[in-house]
Amino acid sequence: MKELFETRQVSTEIAGVDPAADIDGEQTLVINMGPQHPSTHGVLRVVLVLDGEYIVSATPVIGYLHRMHEKMAEIRTCLQYMPNMGRVDYLNPLGWNWAYVGALERLAGIEVPERAEFIRVITGELNRISSHLVWFGAYILDLGAFTPIMYAFEDREKILDLLQPISGSRLTYSFFRPGGVATDVTDSFLKDTLAFVKYMRDRLPMYRDLVTDNIIFRRRCEGVGVLSLEMCQRYGATGPLLRGSNRPYDIRKAEPYSIYDRFDYQIPVDENGDAMGRYRVRMAEMAESLRIIEQAVNRIPEGEHLIKKAPKPLWKAPKGEVYFAVEGARGKIGVYLISNGDKHPYRVKLRSPGFSNLSLFGELAKGHLLQDAVSILGSLDLVIPEIDR
Amino acid sequence: MTPKWMDGLKTLCRCRHTFQKKGVTWGLFLSPDTLLDAARHLFQAGFFLEDISGLDSANGFAAIYHLSAYSGADRVTLYVILPHDDPQVPSISAVYNGAEWHERETMDFFGIHFTGHPDPKPLLLPEDMTDHPLIKEDKERALLRDLLDPGDIVERDPDFLLFEECDSPIDELKPQAQGPDAIERA
Repeated sequence: MKELFETRQVSTEIAGVDPAADIDGEQTLVINMGPQHPSTHGVLRVVLVLDGEYIVSATPVIGYLHRMHEKMAEIRTCLQYMPNMGRVDYLNPLGWNWAYVGALERLAGIEVPERAEFIRVITGELNRISSHLVWFGAYILDLGAFTPIMYAFEDREKILDLLQPISGSRLTYSFFRPGGVATDVTDSFLKDTLAFVKYMRDRLPMYRDLVTDNIIFRRRCEGVGVLSLEMCQRYGATGPLLRGSNRPYDIRKAEPYSIYDRFDYQIPVDENGDAMGRYRVRMAEMAESLRIIEQAVNRIPEGEHLIKKAPKPLWKAPKGEVYFAVEGARGKIGVYLISNGDKHPYRVKLRSPGFSNLSLFGELAKGHLLQDAVSILGSLDLVIPEIDR
Repeated sequence: MTPKWMDGLKTLCRCRHTFQKKGVTWGLFLSPDTLLDAARHLFQAGFFLEDISGLDSANGFAAIYHLSAYSGADRVTLYVILPHDDPQVPSISAVYNGAEWHERETMDFFGIHFTGHPDPKPLLLPEDMTDHPLIKEDKERALLRDLLDPGDIVERDPDFLLFEECDSPIDELKPQAQGPDAIERA
């Protein structure tokens, strides 16, 4: 028994949790959820202090997937850093592509051709849908239903097949370039994309019937992990978390970039702020992304996909500092870049939305049942490599 | 026009920027003891904290805070310049809880100490690591005035000489700015 207690002490020491904390004279139990727990998606560890089934405190421990992307930025040239952007968040690499090239373009004053902007919007929104599909499948899987992930991956597969010929990869895209995109899209890509929009529109009602209206699922999500707007502000939560708490804050509208102001689409919000609210927001976002894609495919102009004077690998960014933010699948992706006029950036800071979104988990999970911790974690849509960077 | 939240805020230098060009509307240089006050002002005005980053330069470290408004394209950057030998800045985690992790990360990467932090432990790097990977070697360090773009300087403390002719490190640059008399003077 003594040995057992000592191991517990060692494992909780790092998280700063007192293993023998008494709550009202009751002995509490400390358990480690992760780093290999299936619902943490990647290697996240949460040290939970339980009083019976209730969570007294939850402390996320991160850093298991840390790769020091910010240091890598300083030893590579501006363009050599592009492939890193595909690897920060493996589910939404185009969001990161966009934030980084956007920062370089804003710093150097590079104009992007019209056609390239349309290609960025089409591929970026396709990537948002594929990211949401993985979240959807995995979230329902966490809650105990196996079937939806098979459907979700079938749909995601179609998006990967669309993006593969133009970007050259299926997962870690490095497709955008300062001044445009790496390759032009073909007419068959546009035709297939329109066919996908039509196909996906028919799938969404099926998801609603299969999952959204399922009473078992709703009982696991409704009223669980209610996030107030004030808490969102204290922790800097963005994306579907903030919109699920009824604040229509979307970077595509708040800090308009690219050509998003030319399309007709809504910012879905939900007034409940619970796990179900965040679920509804993401499901509605997929439908809105389909609308944007459809409009963009129908209106894409002819022209070049990359400017003629596009930066070469040894290109030197002009002196100065710049901040550029885009709306990623998980919230506000920001790149803060400082250049001293050398071919390497002097400093690159990556603002990942998941980092801020996870930091509120400890406060949000307090007082919930252990099973609800899984539901809350899933509703935050965590991608650990993006959080650890 | 100066925004309302800036009223009564003690700053070393206020710089206005064009959002379209830089992604920032205001850049404020603060002394460490006014940082918490600035954070409170911005929280009241409905800003949220985006990130905290460090910067290593020939003038010392800079702790850089980005805050953004929900209402639209409005971003504020707060700069606190710190000496290399004892970089200390108050933690703003009492106002912005999310700052707790950002500050731990900056501590990992630069060794900047955030005083009053509730849990100052390494976040992303191993517990036993003593190096700070983003600290540059002396010859690689650039001057802050070559890195940061002042935009339009609206108001400047007469002792704040960062964007004037200077090559001296922070300690010689404005020795009194961190002392107790700095508050009275400002």
